[in-house]
Amino acid sequence: MIWDDEVWSAEALIDKTTMGQKQFTKTPLPMPAAAADAELVRLCREGDTEAWRSLYDRHAPSVYRFTAALGVPAEEREDAAQDIFIAVFRSLRHFRGEAQLSTWIYRIASRHAIRLGRRRRARELMRAVMLKESPHPTIDPTERSTQIATLDRMLAKLPPKKRTVLVLFEIEGLSAKEISDVVGCPENTVWSRLHHARAEMVTVARRMVP
Amino acid sequence: MKWLESPRNDAERLLREGLDLAVQRTGDEITHRRVWARIGDATEAPPLRSYRGLVVSGAALVLLGTAGVLAYSHLHGKAPVAVVAGNPTLPAAPGNRVAGNVAGSDSTPSKEAAIAEAEHAPGHYVRTGPGERARVALGGGAEANLDESSALTWDSQHRPSIERGSARMSVPHQPPGWRFSVTAGPYVVTVVGTKFDVRVASRTVGVDVSEGIVEVWRGTHSTRLVAGDSWHGPLYPEESLPAQPSLAPTSTVDNSPPVTPARGKPAVQTNQSLLDAQSALQAGNFSRAVEILTRTAQGSGPAAENAAYELGRIARYNLNHPRQAVALWDKYRIRFPSGLLRTEADLSIVETLSHMGDVRAALAEADAFVTRHPDSERRLDVQRLAERLRAAEAAADSR
Repeated sequence: MIWDDEVWSAEALIDKTTMGQKQFTKTPLPMPAAAADAELVRLCREGDTEAWRSLYDRHAPSVYRFTAALGVPAEEREDAAQDIFIAVFRSLRHFRGEAQLSTWIYRIASRHAIRLGRRRRARELMRAVMLKESPHPTIDPTERSTQIATLDRMLAKLPPKKRTVLVLFEIEGLSAKEISDVVGCPENTVWSRLHHARAEMVTVARRMVP
Repeated sequence: MKWLESPRNDAERLLREGLDLAVQRTGDEITHRRVWARIGDATEAPPLRSYRGLVVSGAALVLLGTAGVLAYSHLHGKAPVAVVAGNPTLPAAPGNRVAGNVAGSDSTPSKEAAIAEAEHAPGHYVRTGPGERARVALGGGAEANLDESSALTWDSQHRPSIERGSARMSVPHQPPGWRFSVTAGPYVVTVVGTKFDVRVASRTVGVDVSEGIVEVWRGTHSTRLVAGDSWHGPLYPEESLPAQPSLAPTSTVDNSPPVTPARGKPAVQTNQSLLDAQSALQAGNFSRAVEILTRTAQGSGPAAENAAYELGRIARYNLNHPRQAVALWDKYRIRFPSGLLRTEADLSIVETLSHMGDVRAALAEADAFVTRHPDSERRLDVQRLAERLRAAEAAADSR
């Protein structure tokens, strides 16, 4: 009987979770475009389709994660990624290589996410005014982890500038220098925003988890 | 040292856990492939150096076109012939043409077949009267055969749209990353290469698939149909059945259009147990979800198939146990060798094995996928992955 053996058993599945989060080592695949980003950019500019694909493969996961953390709802995330990469592809000839390619992509993504957030808030405001409806709660229906759902609710309480800095530092793992390149402010301002964002997050967390 | 690595209370612990999990929220392979399919064509053409030339040539073309149409209508004493073709997801193929009974918004259908060149024009119509039929050549080699008393138009995104009646669509296999879409009421039917019928009645929209695979989308909701499947949905969705959320990736959100399976093929649909499992998952109660799904998987029919597939997803994404997930999807394949989610299961296994760094097994699965699904829209993606895996294997062997 297929369904009776150990592999289907609920207990077996749950027990395995206690074995730790890292149960395998991920071997990075030698991508054809394992060359530096500069080489990838050069190939893209020459119209190499494979290079475009490599660029997308390399940066799509971080763009998805970044836009999710900046509050782009699940149903808009694919469209947002599409718009961001089309903007990247169309503007690549303007990329001067002074910053890292990833930093430049983060900059495009953050502007787009903030713009989407502004539009969303305007829509909600209009709905509230015109239809006297309260805004829908920003819960991601695809998000199955309560911790992430709670984190999203906490992040939603932060102003966009502080949120961007916090997400870039704590989730994306960028340095203060890189963040200053993305958001276009001095490094000291990055540290200041990060400090305030962290303090606000802790306050919000305490309020949500008494 | 990470911020809040030593949390002082539950609030800080929850915050730290959320941040750690958010790092892993990178989207799944299928999502990335879908986005790439939509933007792939943007990379085909080199970026425009200047918009000035484009504006000037566009204006000149419009003027020439207008003059031509006016001259034609003046000579023939008819309303301007509006011929529209194309699809935003397809290349602007030269020679997009409409053949058959062609009419503009205000013109009367002609008995004579008309052939003309035109650019995409949202809002224009191709109509057929009683006893009339029309063949409309669309971009990318696609073709619509309009039945009698039907109307085809183009929406604001330049997609062909069946307004009334029915049409048989023939779509040749599209280049990688390109898709063809046709709309019918609130639904978007997306295909890579296939033959299918779309019909719009007074209150329903229907799709019958003859070859290949199509996806019927409404907003973010989708249903996948394979050859032999029939589907119908309400033209006015507010009249639809109660919400039917599904756990399967092809129909993951509420209000999925109801699916009418043909020839006994399993449809992606759900029942109360799947709803309960979904609620448990959303509440983070994985053990409860697994219990429900295990019980459901022991049954039969579409719910069992969904549950069997979903168990693998929980093992992979919620419980972080990829090896167990592969075993579960393998069991799914044994139980449902021709299941509707078979392609997804095969893809999930390939993706998970490569993510685990099990290059040899992933390569074997990728090669098997290409052989097993020669017409799959994802075949090229898997082939690319297989090439990378082969390179990885060769590099490992040389060491």
